[in-house]
Amino acid sequence: MSNLLVVLVLLPFVAGLACYLLRASFVRSLVVLGTGGILAVASIALMMTGPFTYSPGPVLGMSWDSLITIADFALLIVILFYGFKHNNLLIKLFSVAQMVGLVILELFWVDHTAHVPTFYADQLSLIMVLIISIVGSLICIYAIPYMKEHEEHLHLETSKQPRFFLFLVLFLGAMNGLVLSNNILWLYFFFEITTFCSFMLIGHDGTEIAIKNSVRALWMNSAGGVAFVAGMMFIYATAATLDIQALLASGSATAVGLLVGLAFISFAGFTKAAQLPFQGWLLGAMVAPTPVSALLHSSTMVKAGVYVVLRFAPAFAGTFVATGVALCGGFTFLACAALAISQSNGKKILAYSTISNLGLIIACAGINTPAAHTAAIFLIIFHAVSKALLFLCVGTIEQRIGSRDIEDMRGLYARMPRTAWITITGILTMLLPPFGVLLGKWMAIEAASDQLFVVVMLAMGSALTVVYWARWAGSLLDMPGGEKPVPEEQALLMRLPLLTLCLGSVGLALASPAMYEYLIRPMFASAPFMVTGGVLSGPMGAFAVYPLFLVLGLGLLYALRVVKKSRGMTFAAPYSGGANVKGSNDGSFVGPMNAPVKIEAGNYYLPAFFGEERLTTFANIAAIALIVLMIGGAL
Amino acid sequence: MTTEIILILIAVIVAPLLGGLISGIDRKLTAWFQSRQGPPITQGFFDVAKLFGKEKMAANPWIIFCAWVYLVAAALSVVLFFLQSDLLLIFFVQAIGAVFMVIGAMSVPSPYSQVGAQRELIQILTYEPLLILVFVSIYLATGSFQIDQIMQVEQPLLFKLPLMFIVLGYALTIKLRKSPFDFSTSHHGHQELVKGVLTEYSGPFLGLVEVAHWYETILVLGLCALFWSTNILAMIALLVVTYLAEIIIDNTMARMTWRWMLKYVWSVGLALSFVNLIWLYAKV
Repeated sequence: MSNLLVVLVLLPFVAGLACYLLRASFVRSLVVLGTGGILAVASIALMMTGPFTYSPGPVLGMSWDSLITIADFALLIVILFYGFKHNNLLIKLFSVAQMVGLVILELFWVDHTAHVPTFYADQLSLIMVLIISIVGSLICIYAIPYMKEHEEHLHLETSKQPRFFLFLVLFLGAMNGLVLSNNILWLYFFFEITTFCSFMLIGHDGTEIAIKNSVRALWMNSAGGVAFVAGMMFIYATAATLDIQALLASGSATAVGLLVGLAFISFAGFTKAAQLPFQGWLLGAMVAPTPVSALLHSSTMVKAGVYVVLRFAPAFAGTFVATGVALCGGFTFLACAALAISQSNGKKILAYSTISNLGLIIACAGINTPAAHTAAIFLIIFHAVSKALLFLCVGTIEQRIGSRDIEDMRGLYARMPRTAWITITGILTMLLPPFGVLLGKWMAIEAASDQLFVVVMLAMGSALTVVYWARWAGSLLDMPGGEKPVPEEQALLMRLPLLTLCLGSVGLALASPAMYEYLIRPMFASAPFMVTGGVLSGPMGAFAVYPLFLVLGLGLLYALRVVKKSRGMTFAAPYSGGANVKGSNDGSFVGPMNAPVKIEAGNYYLPAFFGEERLTTFANIAAIALIVLMIGGAL
Repeated sequence: MTTEIILILIAVIVAPLLGGLISGIDRKLTAWFQSRQGPPITQGFFDVAKLFGKEKMAANPWIIFCAWVYLVAAALSVVLFFLQSDLLLIFFVQAIGAVFMVIGAMSVPSPYSQVGAQRELIQILTYEPLLILVFVSIYLATGSFQIDQIMQVEQPLLFKLPLMFIVLGYALTIKLRKSPFDFSTSHHGHQELVKGVLTEYSGPFLGLVEVAHWYETILVLGLCALFWSTNILAMIALLVVTYLAEIIIDNTMARMTWRWMLKYVWSVGLALSFVNLIWLYAKV
């Protein structure tokens, strides 16, 4: 038990330091590979041991609690230093506010003689550890060849990879610590480490825009940190404990102070999950190298936000705070789905999609029924896998074609066939049945059905999602018939993570009934769904996973067989009213002065309806109003 | 089990035949409105048979793939409907067909096909939120998304959700690509996009698309039938009136623009939905 915890939490810290100190890139690659493998194995072993409670003993005569407190203040001082370095007033204010709050809490309020179990894991924590350790490790492994190529593109003379991998690997340990913490003070410590790591990674390249965006990420997440400290203070003042399980065991909160505390902690989760109006930091994170984007969006930073809300959700079930959380999440889901329609930047589409899905998860936390919690967990799992895959695909594409605009990806299949079909698979797993993200959406809509506004927002957000994914997939395939795609060269350590995540996104969806039975159902006293022959049935509806996989799978195989048989077929040139250029299948036609005209095509992005300039301000104002309503409603 | 197999067979075999007949009646009535004789009612079957007999010719392999997936998805959504499955599930499965139709059109470097695909996406963008709102309102009125539960109502849904039926009508007019919403493709030949999203589907693969369209017609009418499931004769009457209204609108309306569609249909559709949902909510 303690060995696994040491591996999952401390090993990444040690390995990160090793990456920083050992300058040889080959050794660093070995360290990253080894750490990734060990983390994955350890997370599976931890899952197999089941739920547990654990408190580490003293080290060198000092309790871990004291060490964490010291580390907390040290970290806040470092953040304050960067506030001065970048001359950002918000960072200074927020870090000082956190220090003041912590001083009051630690020195005057908290009874340190009371024993609080440090670590606690239930099914939710164990699932989170699996995601962090496996998906996160795959991203770190992908980063090995990616960063080498990245620095070659930048013509860097002195490599910055040591620091990059320090924070990248360290991030995994912080996340594992966060999801396994039962003491809120420990959770807060790891929460702050993720804030700092994301700041360092976003600003990695050191360009002006990278620094600007990293500073924004830091102050936005520091605002979350202030809210977290405030939440801890309210909770302790009312409940006299910082033991999460003791808090949850006392049932749904009725005391005003406790509700306010929970509302503040939910707010902290919102900032970490980049919910409106805090989406700016996650959108700005796109300047970072792709492994950072993939890590933030899939298995670490943003999942920390939804985890925090989900973890504390049982404590405010049935209250106005819960309704407020559901409304905030639902609104973000709908608004960001709409905003994504106007984007042609591949990473921005993925970013808005991430924020939208996180809003859906938070809406589930607010709804707070067993069915909603099931939906939230499924969404966390499937979103992590599919989003990691898509970000790594866009990173691969960007390195090859030098652009992340989906207009420049038109016809990508002819140039990068393997990456193109992996990307399309990833897109379909985000969009269509029988894949897991859609299963989660189905569950969420059904779980939301007794809250009118939430269910309407979830339903409409789901419908808006089709457009921006479908046109992206269509753009990738654009090519004349009879043309053979060029075989694609790819580094092994890039290909393996891509293929693993691709197979994972499909395979996990197929395994979702089993995942429900063995991983999720044990969490609940009464099961929200019943599994019969691969069909998940609830009181309001049923989702036929195996039957859909069977029929659609057979249909797909048949369609592919027909395509294969078409190899010998004659392919016609596209219709051009008889004006086709002779001997060409690429759609060129004879234009003015008998000169050939090459076809050009572009997507409609509907900026007049969904442009950021039109929607962002109003969306932010509405989101602020909903958040104020949520916190104010606790009073 | 036996019942389910029979239902599946009906959905896979009888439904498209019925869809083909309905499209034949559609063309007959349209011709009548235009003082023409028009083709026989069974002309649709002859058309498809002829298409299947043509040489296999395509602009690229993905068109073939997408045509087949479109057909499978359309058939599967009808099967799920006949098996009285979850409305949300049916919604998501029919989206597969819509997505692959668009992907197929976008995979060809053809200007007509590309613009048709973009317009089809906008049509999808317009009707999908409304359609799913209809399903949510059906849930709110009946307590379930499961069709077998929905069919248990004692009073026709039309009386609780009259405005949602109008919203459904808008969504289905767009889905069937009838005027004034025939931007992406049309059975009329005078359209400026040639055949728009269908331009590069030809021969047997166009035949597949036609059959898939028949499946979709049945699904559309099936959804309308849910609004009066308590009496078979009244249900049929509702369907006849609804489809006749579709044909009349198709023949009396000019094609509008997609910008108009987005603004008009969304504002009217969302307003009607909001009023009906609030009314339903207050009534409970």
